[in-house]
Amino acid sequence: MSQLRKSLWRGALAAAAVAGFVTTAAAQTDLKIMAPAAPGGGWDQTARSMQQALTQAGIAKSVQVANVPGAGGSIGIAQLVNNSKGDGNQLMVMGYVMVGALLTNKSPITLDQTTPIARLTTEYEAIVVPADSPIKNAKDLAAAIKADPAKVTWAGGSAGGVDHIAAALFAKAAGADPTKINYIPFSGGGEALAAILGGKVTAGISGYGEFESQVKAGKLRLIGLTSATKTANVDVPSIKEQGIDLEIANWRAVVAPPGISADQKKALTDAVEKMVQSKEWQEILKAKGWENAYLSGDAFAKGLNDEIARTKDVLTAVGLVKS
Amino acid sequence: MTTSPQRRIDVAGLAIALILLALAGLVWWDMSKLQILSPYDLGPKVMPIVVSAGLILLAIGNGISALRGDLPTRESLDWTPIVLILGGLAILIALITLGWGFIIGTAILFAATSTAFGRRAFLVDLLIGAGLALFVYLLLGKLLTLSLPAGPLERLF
Amino acid sequence: MEAFYSLASGLSVAIQPMNLLFALIGVLLGTAVGVLPGIGPALTVALLLPITFKLDPGGSIIMFAGIYYGGMYGGSTTAILINTPGESASMATALEGNKMAKAGRGGPALATAAIGSFVAGTIATLGLTFLAPYLVDIAVSFGPEDYFALMCVAFITVSATFGDSPVRGLTSLFIGLLLGLVGIDILSGQSRLSFGIPELYDNIEVTTLAVGLFAVGEALYVASRRHIEEEKLEPVRGSLWMTKEDWKRSWKPWIRGTLFGFPIGALPAGGAEIPTFLSYSTEKRLTKHPEEFGHGAIEGVAGPEAANNASAAGTLVPLLTLGLPTSATAAMMLAGFQQYGLNPGPLLFAERPDLVWGLIASLFIANGMLLVLNLPLVGLWVRLLAIPQPWLYAGILVFATIGTIAANPSPVELIMLTVFGVLGFLMRRFDFPIAPVVVGLILGPVAESQLRRALSISLGDPMVLLESPISATLLVIALIALILPFVMKGLGRFKAVED
Repeated sequence: MSQLRKSLWRGALAAAAVAGFVTTAAAQTDLKIMAPAAPGGGWDQTARSMQQALTQAGIAKSVQVANVPGAGGSIGIAQLVNNSKGDGNQLMVMGYVMVGALLTNKSPITLDQTTPIARLTTEYEAIVVPADSPIKNAKDLAAAIKADPAKVTWAGGSAGGVDHIAAALFAKAAGADPTKINYIPFSGGGEALAAILGGKVTAGISGYGEFESQVKAGKLRLIGLTSATKTANVDVPSIKEQGIDLEIANWRAVVAPPGISADQKKALTDAVEKMVQSKEWQEILKAKGWENAYLSGDAFAKGLNDEIARTKDVLTAVGLVKS
Repeated sequence: MTTSPQRRIDVAGLAIALILLALAGLVWWDMSKLQILSPYDLGPKVMPIVVSAGLILLAIGNGISALRGDLPTRESLDWTPIVLILGGLAILIALITLGWGFIIGTAILFAATSTAFGRRAFLVDLLIGAGLALFVYLLLGKLLTLSLPAGPLERLF
Repeated sequence: MEAFYSLASGLSVAIQPMNLLFALIGVLLGTAVGVLPGIGPALTVALLLPITFKLDPGGSIIMFAGIYYGGMYGGSTTAILINTPGESASMATALEGNKMAKAGRGGPALATAAIGSFVAGTIATLGLTFLAPYLVDIAVSFGPEDYFALMCVAFITVSATFGDSPVRGLTSLFIGLLLGLVGIDILSGQSRLSFGIPELYDNIEVTTLAVGLFAVGEALYVASRRHIEEEKLEPVRGSLWMTKEDWKRSWKPWIRGTLFGFPIGALPAGGAEIPTFLSYSTEKRLTKHPEEFGHGAIEGVAGPEAANNASAAGTLVPLLTLGLPTSATAAMMLAGFQQYGLNPGPLLFAERPDLVWGLIASLFIANGMLLVLNLPLVGLWVRLLAIPQPWLYAGILVFATIGTIAANPSPVELIMLTVFGVLGFLMRRFDFPIAPVVVGLILGPVAESQLRRALSISLGDPMVLLESPISATLLVIALIALILPFVMKGLGRFKAVED
């Protein structure tokens, strides 16, 4: 699956590289990007970074960012689908969290109603334990969960979010009942991190960026990332390499409103593609520590549908969504 | 607190008690639709039950003080300014919903409120309100690039 | 000792002219946005991040710190003058501060707020300099059960804002608790009292409620009574500055407020609102002028204002030592660090001491700048009250609505503001206290989620509340605070009989 994705991605990049050289016309467009979250969060930062890269690289004449906060993006997507139909200059940032949020909120609007443009970045989930924990690796954690899932407490983000899903998938892969996991949602990243540092919970799960400095300082022990293979920035093999079949990524992407023409879709896709190749975007990725995961067109649309189906299965299994 | 020599039943006080009772019912009804999902969590129902029960007790408490006429006395009410201010707010909300931007609505709200407080210069106040809104729009919308509800007037800038 | 040298070298970074300029821009910007309800320092920093991307990290982080401190100042100015708390932590300030302003004592109220903020900010920043490594260990050891116990203490203190009828005070509190239920329950992901309206999924914004109840409600109430009693505002009655008596009554609340604000601000889930309420109720209990509370007591401004600023410095303790963002603004500052590839935490002190100590030193400077900027402005600010009443209230409503839509551009948010305004009007008319509603909205959800977390971790065993020493101590304090007034009253009666 991921191998397939990777090769698709490479293909897309190659195609994009060619396209990039052909179309270097002067920018004429005024783009609007909606961040379906309050200023400051990941989606907002992605939207504003896109604004920065698109204008500085001269791909768009102007880019306006609008925040529509609320409920994991449910309010933003409702506005995009209802108010921006057919608007070929509008984009919305979204991500894996929105997939889960729309399902748990029983939103009447679904992602099928939008026009997928491209996936931009990805971040792997990390599982950590306090430095003095007897749990040393993924096998230990799996054994503890199998023995008694109630005794293994997890601290992570909101219920039904990517952290919760990853914890459930871990339990499932470990051979335990995923509905029996003792997952404790915290509101902000800081609060969950404090609970882990204070030894209040067995393990913590979140994007690796949240834990990185604590892991490096030796206050937390990294059990592993949810990538397929070990990534360059950590010393620990991935959870999958440790024999627990768990692979999940928290990606961010852009979608367009429904009802846009094929030409409009192509123009937006081209603009995003050019942005991804721009020096400005690469600089931002490096500065923010985001991993490039560019994927566009049908490959992204198909990947999105697969992700929705998988998430629905997991959330149903955990009991957060009644089928 | 009572100033009247005979204690009378306070109708408004009874209405407050009834409203509290209705709110308690609303919270209870909403709670009954929730599901317990995690085997370890106390569950989302406990707090609504506490609030609902508290509201019932307070409805009784407020009802008793209404029957005893314990509520503070109230002066007569002038509805005109209230209608003016709430009308200004309603127009602002309607204009933003209809996509007319916020400067026009804010100007109307400013003028309506100042009329409610006894001024009789609606047009002048309309202009002052528009100026104030424009200033804020330039400061927040342009300088800080905040997205404010925009309409025909805002797009001129 | 080492901290002294580090601070001195930090000071040499902070007083570079460019950095001084950044600090100045920061405090000015912070004050400006702090004045508008709804738009706080967090939003401002978020909007500035892309602009500062190319700047030098030291300068822009110093500017963010200036915005943070400035925002805390700006919020209290509007709270005192026009009863519109610029952010939720200024609500307690509005309670007494606005009463003082209406009685022509706006000058001393603003002055005690400014000087109190300076004193608290300075002491708390000193605490940050010297105590951070020790404090953070305690802060992290606070578990969910301890937070729940802290909320219990806070709940008891709410009674200080009840006024003369416990039934009506509790009614207000429960309306706040009810409003706190609205939205998605963080622990189960289900929505409560949202009726399928997506805007309600996101919980009720504290500033929307506070501004609706305080500012809009007040405007409606004053307007409805104009035919009976014309409200007369005198900008200055008596002294514009703090009198000797004012100083005498202010300095202890400043210190006590700092002692509440700094440690609670340093707690990862402590927040800025709780210490302001603790300070308010403490001052009300300790004051020699209890009759003035509710009519403009200077202690009720001095204490909460100090607490609010000290907690801002407290928030930086976990941010700098652990990289833990514990407030929206701290989260934005973290993003600010990260965009330069810097990760706050234990390593940052070792890797970039110039930056960390430069930041801490510039906090002292920002604090001093704010005092110098704000004190001379007091005379100007109180003149705001001389604006003809129709324009003053029209302006208040415009500020309230624009602040609300700037933070969240949705008509639903404005409808909520209006509904809360009507609620505030009715509560004033029927003599229900207003503050407990906001307190209920703030404390209710925190108390609920922390208790549920504690019980999830203990697998349902309630003894966890007594087994943790912190929690047990706090619960005992709560119990004493609950019983003490009754005991005192009893003793007082006993004495009266003996006399």
